[in-house]
This record gives sequence, structure tokens and C-alpha cells, in this order.
Amino acid sequence: MNVERGSLPSSFLSGAREGFISFLPLSVGLVPWALVMGMAMASTGFTPLQAMGMNIIVFAGTAQLGTLPLIAAEAPLWLIVVTALALNLRFVIFSAALAPGFRGVGTAKRWLAGHLLTDGVFATCLDKMLHTDDPHWRLGYYLAPAVWSWLLWQVFALIGIYTAGFIPKQWSLEFMATIALIVLLVPMARVRPMLIAALVGGASATLLRNMPLRLGVVVAICAGIAAGFAAEHWEHKARKS
Amino acid sequence: MNYDGSLWLIFILIGLATTLPRASFIVLGSRVTLPSVLQRALRYAPAAALAAIVAPDVLVVGGQIDVLNPKLAAAGVAVATASLWRNPWLPFIAGMSALHAVRYLVGS
Repeated sequence: MNVERGSLPSSFLSGAREGFISFLPLSVGLVPWALVMGMAMASTGFTPLQAMGMNIIVFAGTAQLGTLPLIAAEAPLWLIVVTALALNLRFVIFSAALAPGFRGVGTAKRWLAGHLLTDGVFATCLDKMLHTDDPHWRLGYYLAPAVWSWLLWQVFALIGIYTAGFIPKQWSLEFMATIALIVLLVPMARVRPMLIAALVGGASATLLRNMPLRLGVVVAICAGIAAGFAAEHWEHKARKS
Repeated sequence: MNYDGSLWLIFILIGLATTLPRASFIVLGSRVTLPSVLQRALRYAPAAALAAIVAPDVLVVGGQIDVLNPKLAAAGVAVATASLWRNPWLPFIAGMSALHAVRYLVGS
């Protein structure tokens, strides 16, 4: 069953509306992040065309910020690519978790959905994507926040490119991105195994921060998952006995 | 610094390195199914990943763990407002205010 061409089914639109509404407040966090990204690319010496080219082709904040210093230092190509890959490895996990939510959706739309996947969209959409039957509704619920993120990312990066140097650094606008991640995390951590997964993930990433290529983040995610899973198992056993 | 045409090759390769992990399972879909144990375990991925990104950012200052820094205080305020009230804008207002208030108080 594929979404037909030309006419958008009403369930696609109602899914899109709901996805957009639940994501809108979180998307504020993208604004300073995109501004900072634009400023960083401009101060690396990219022309506006090159900077927007990177922003559109790559569309991945951490990978873009992480590879900029390497590009500026004329690091070997393989190191740049491996770094980008390591910074985005967590998305293999996200992609696998979301995959069942795309049953009934065509391949081209899956590629588009994959390219547009971000941390915020993942955290917003996972639950509803896995617990809704209608593929049109699910695709709408996913694409509305995803496309909105893309638009914000491009527009505010462009503004950042041209305003680099005007916004005082001490405003620390980039901290809004951290707050956005906290806003996503808090409701998840209301369930005890999730809280344990978060605590172990956070502590491991802090302790392993000096691992090369930021692999510590990947190891920490795995440790957090294992801890959460173990906690769930243990709670289940405790309830039975 | 001036960049030549190879910059675009770099962008395309970084683009592949970031899009392929994201698209992987979404595109493969039902052709590759993960065992249900793994699927249950993966439910913990978002919480673990978000914490793994946030924690070092608010706990580490200049390479050292510092539990008395303005960012951590602001993060604490953001967590508290997000747990107590449903208003989604409040953590941003309270968190940013806390960050600047604490910085002002400690004079940095």
C-alpha cells in the first residue's frame, strides 16, 4: 500500500498536523543550533554558496560541526569521512527502531525519510509511528516535523552565515540546543528502566569523552541500552516473585 | 582560506556518511527484521543517546568534570521545569535565565 500521487489522503494531513504540533515547541532548539552552524561554516572560510551546499548535502549538525575543523586543517579525506560516520552512527540504532513505522510506505519516500532523520524527529515520532496502523497517517506524522526541521535548518543557517560576528558570544544561544534535548529526555525518563538507561548513558559518555573520534558516545549509548534492558528484566522478575 | 572543487567531493562523501546510517533500516524495512529482543532493547536508545549528548556538555568544563558550573545549574532548572509543568516553552525561558543569572552571580 503506497501513498498515491497527486492527492494527499486526509489521514496524511491529520497525521502531519499532529506531528507538527507536538514537534513545534522543540523545534525552537534548532534555531540557535542552525545559526551557530552557519556562523561556524562562514568563519571556516566557506563562501555562502559552499556553506549552503554543505548544509543541504550533509544536513547533520554534529557531523557538520565535527568535520569543519578537519576540513580547515586539510586532514586526509578518509579521516573526515570516518569522523562523519562515527558522529552519525547512533542513527543506525534510531533507523532500526523506527523501521517498523514505515511498513506500507514506498522506497523513495523511505530514502527521503532517512535523509531527514534527526534526533528531535526520532524522539518525537517513535512512539506514535510504532502504534498507529494507517501508513498515510504515520508518514504525515513523520514528514511534517522532518520537513519543518529541514526548513528551519536551512533558513537559520543562511541567516547565521550572513550574521556571523554580530551576535555576542556571551549570549550562549547554543545552550538552547541542550535545553531542547533535555525537554525530549525528561518525559521519557519517567519510567524507571528509561531513567536508568539515561543515567548510565550520560555517565558513560562523560567518562569516555576522550575516546578517539567521539566513539565514547556510541559506547555510552550501547551501555545505556544494556542497563535499561537489564533494569526492565530485573523489574519484571521482581514483580513475578 | 580558499577551497577548490574537491570541497564538493568532501561534502558529498560526508553526506553519504551521514545519510546511509540514517536511511539504513528505514529503507531496508521488512527485508531485514531485527530480532524482537533487539527491538525491545532499542527502545532505550533515545534516552541513552540524548543523555550521552547532554551529560558531557553540562558536566565538563575545559576538559574537566566540574559539578559546580553555570551550565549544570541551568540544566537542573530546565529538568525541574520540564518535569513539573507541561508548558513546552518554559524550560527554554527558565533554563536560559538560570544560565545568565548564575553566570552573573559567580561573576564569570
